[in-house]
Amino acid sequence: MTPQILAIAMAAVLLIVVIVLLRSYVLPEKYAVIWLAASVVAIVLSAWPGLLDTIAIFFGISQPINLLFVGAFFVLFLLLMQLTLEVAKTRDELRKTVQKLALELEKRQSLDD
Amino acid sequence: MRVLVAIPALNEADAIGEVLAALSAVHPLADTVVVDDGSRDDTGRIARTAGAHVLSHAINLGVGAAMGTAFKYAAANRYDAVIQFDGDGQHRPGHIAELIAATAHADIVIGSRYAPGGDAFKSSAARRGVHHLIARVVSLYARTRITDASSGFRIAGPRALAVFAEHYPVEWLGDTVESIVLATRQGLTVAEIPVGMNERAGGVPSQSVFRSIGYTGRIMFILVLASFRSVPPRLRELRRRTAGESVA
Repeated sequence: MTPQILAIAMAAVLLIVVIVLLRSYVLPEKYAVIWLAASVVAIVLSAWPGLLDTIAIFFGISQPINLLFVGAFFVLFLLLMQLTLEVAKTRDELRKTVQKLALELEKRQSLDD
Repeated sequence: MRVLVAIPALNEADAIGEVLAALSAVHPLADTVVVDDGSRDDTGRIARTAGAHVLSHAINLGVGAAMGTAFKYAAANRYDAVIQFDGDGQHRPGHIAELIAATAHADIVIGSRYAPGGDAFKSSAARRGVHHLIARVVSLYARTRITDASSGFRIAGPRALAVFAEHYPVEWLGDTVESIVLATRQGLTVAEIPVGMNERAGGVPSQSVFRSIGYTGRIMFILVLASFRSVPPRLRELRRRTAGESVA
């Protein structure tokens, strides 16, 4: 088995996992775009390694694999950044919700008294 | 038939008072619920003073989630049908009786701006084009001709209400369109009646060309997803429950 087939198989598994998660309503639409795009890019790059070489030559990078590392690092950095922002927003919304709930519960209890 | 009018509202303090006043001429406000979706203004207080029920979201969750709350409220309070009505004065209360009458023939009835027999809806050509394109695609899913899938003026009858109380799409801007696809996949029927709509009372809808393209792309993506998505888990449970009842 050549490494290329292995790479294509792994990318295909990634795509299938994304589709299964989408299908069963586990993965929301909002995040679907980025994961579908990532799996498609992975499949294209593994099925067509020459593409990576061509882009590397265009940017003047002597080792094409370095382009892959730098590119992947950058994309992962952006993804992490986005997730951090999402967590911060979710925490903020949770705080607001719990505070409002506390006020409502107090209102109801003082009515009961 | 007990009908609930549900008004999802976000920062509609300027318009909601007039909207409720106009609505009260044809529908009791005691059977009206305003879902205040995290407004920063007095929307909720004004609606409550006017005599409507108010459900307040602690944070802004979007129109889809607001309607989801309204459907749960309707199911809990034993209503038979829910009418979605706008809080900014776009929809005309005069059409409500027609919507209710039309539920005799369909589970969901949409008040369409573009159906034959309606007033010509004044809007930009780009906006109309987008609406027509979306309606075309949704018609394919619904296997019936729909001219205005993105209209937020609609009624959900008893069978649709049972489905939507369990699951209503929450995706931003996609709720109107996706709910039709979801409903038709549950075997519900969709019909339209022609309606006229007013210009928005407050604020101008910002529909630049780029926004239209983004909006269309987003809805198309949601529709493509809907084509290979299975039934939401909670709806599968509902179907199993109702099937069990009919056997017993």
